[in-house]
Amino acid sequence: MQYTHMAAPKKTFMLLLFIICCIFLGPLFMSDQFSMEAFQQLNTIFLSIIIEAIPFVLIGVLIAGFIQIFVTEEHIRKWIPKSKMKAVWVSCIAGSLFPACECGIVPIVRRLVGKGVPLYAGVGFLLTGPLINPIVILSTYMAFGNDMKMALLRMGVGFLAALTIALLVSWLFQTNQLKHKEHFHTHDTAAKQPFFQRLKNMLHHSIDEFFDMSKYLILGAFVAAALQTFVSAQSLLLFGDSIFHSTIIMMALAYFLSLCSEADAFIGASFRNLFPSTSILAFLIYGPMIDLKNTIMLLNVFKAKFVFLLLFLITVIVFIFVHLTTFI
Amino acid sequence: MYVDFQHIIKTIILGIFASFFIMLHSSGDILKYVNPKYEYISKIAMVIFICLFLIQIFRILQKKKRAGHVCTSGCDHDHHGNGVLSLRKVFGYSIIAFPMVTGFTFEPATLNAKIAGNKGLFAQISKGNEDPSEKPSLTENAESLTEKENIDIYSEEYNPIPNNNYMSEEELDDKKKLLQASETIEMREDIFGSYYGSINKAPQDYIGRKIKMSGFVFKEEGFTSDQLVLSRFMITHCLADASVLGFLTQFEEASIFEEDTWLEMEGVLDVTTYDGYEMPIIKATSWKVIDEPAEPYVFPVITLLQ
Repeated sequence: MQYTHMAAPKKTFMLLLFIICCIFLGPLFMSDQFSMEAFQQLNTIFLSIIIEAIPFVLIGVLIAGFIQIFVTEEHIRKWIPKSKMKAVWVSCIAGSLFPACECGIVPIVRRLVGKGVPLYAGVGFLLTGPLINPIVILSTYMAFGNDMKMALLRMGVGFLAALTIALLVSWLFQTNQLKHKEHFHTHDTAAKQPFFQRLKNMLHHSIDEFFDMSKYLILGAFVAAALQTFVSAQSLLLFGDSIFHSTIIMMALAYFLSLCSEADAFIGASFRNLFPSTSILAFLIYGPMIDLKNTIMLLNVFKAKFVFLLLFLITVIVFIFVHLTTFI
Repeated sequence: MYVDFQHIIKTIILGIFASFFIMLHSSGDILKYVNPKYEYISKIAMVIFICLFLIQIFRILQKKKRAGHVCTSGCDHDHHGNGVLSLRKVFGYSIIAFPMVTGFTFEPATLNAKIAGNKGLFAQISKGNEDPSEKPSLTENAESLTEKENIDIYSEEYNPIPNNNYMSEEELDDKKKLLQASETIEMREDIFGSYYGSINKAPQDYIGRKIKMSGFVFKEEGFTSDQLVLSRFMITHCLADASVLGFLTQFEEASIFEEDTWLEMEGVLDVTTYDGYEMPIIKATSWKVIDEPAEPYVFPVITLLQ
């Protein structure tokens, strides 16, 4: 049973997140700032984020469920060509067309790589899958006041960054970097089942995906609401108000909030009167590519050295690419 | 027959989510959380929750050997029930249930002056950005938000709902003309953001004009005793993106009013400089304390597509 060993990292993650929440939010609740009134403010903002984001999460899990049942990895794998360069391009494009969230894509990539898809193509797919897809684009478009600019930048810059990272991986690693030599046996019986059975399976998957994903959204929304309630804009700027500082802050937020890419646009947008758009773009691109929960899932699948190098590559490349946009 | 305990929990949670959304829509409380333009998509979410709830009910009573359950990829969901309810899973479910507990327990609060203070109305302006285009000041922000909202993707497919801030182009033009022509500028809820943006863009043009508005009081450090800010929150999407639209207001009795008091005020517009930034100021002539309005927030204008 390959599912059982997912439990340990998840436990570690939950514990980590709990500790982080305690460190950052604990003092706020204990301070004199905290009152019933403040909690009600926090709660209202918290619910507001959730109420707004949940329709998008629901649409996301329905599509994810559909893909899970009606599209097999075989279809996608067939499109991966032999040449490195072409494979990277195709994998990034395939990822862009494949609606998934960053937590859902890890097991898929593991399976793809285990079946013989080259690592770099897997990485391309891993990075663009959660970042570029119709729901993410729609929610980004709406979150930024029905403005296409941010959504386009997110797609364009994100795609280029993913291409670059995947190419770098193709030069740096020759083997598949999988932790365990897993034996994947096909049990794609999906195609043989009647339509209604598959539809039922799809909805079951959607429900499970909802429970899997909404945890991170709810935690993220709570942290974001707490920040808004207790931390003033000025104190965030204390870290330095240069564009580099604010980009680092936003990327750290993206990493630790571990938001699902379907909903992070709304949270990113809520920071736009605090931070320059470049930093918010970094938040939007970095978060879907890698975050705390994703890292833990990847550590479970790939060798630690590879995961940390990937984390480093993504951080540096996104940082550089985002700042290049200021010259456009 | 085998009953999976986790499926029961999931059913209950989905049911609570569905009823929470039903409650939001039937009580109208949804408008205290999000911009009314989200009503439709939120109703869709409500329907999806009801469907998923009904489907999940039938999952409770499934045979242990899950005939036909297909896992096309190494999916790591918790759906291989196994009935084992570990501490980790309990923690996960309680996180998901948490917003529903607080959602049903607490009435939605109206954002207050403390939040406005955190947003830093004037702090932002006085921060002294080297590059103002990178960090828009609040005034520019408000204007651009309003402008961007002019086209809405829902407006073609759906009829406007009463509370929604839809206007036709002509109506908006008329209102904008009114801003220039009327004797007293009336800052009504439907046009607040637009007027606010125009006045802040060129405060000089409005010197000496009469203005009438209502809003809540909020004060920042460094204010003199005769100063306060009379403001409204503008909600573009959800409360997390609320921006403060406030006018610096000056009158001798300003110190009497506590933060979060709602005032209806008439006054004359003038220009002042605050930390080197030029901004409009209202010299109040008359005011009265009012109750918090039923709709405390203002929303950007959405014009219907022609």
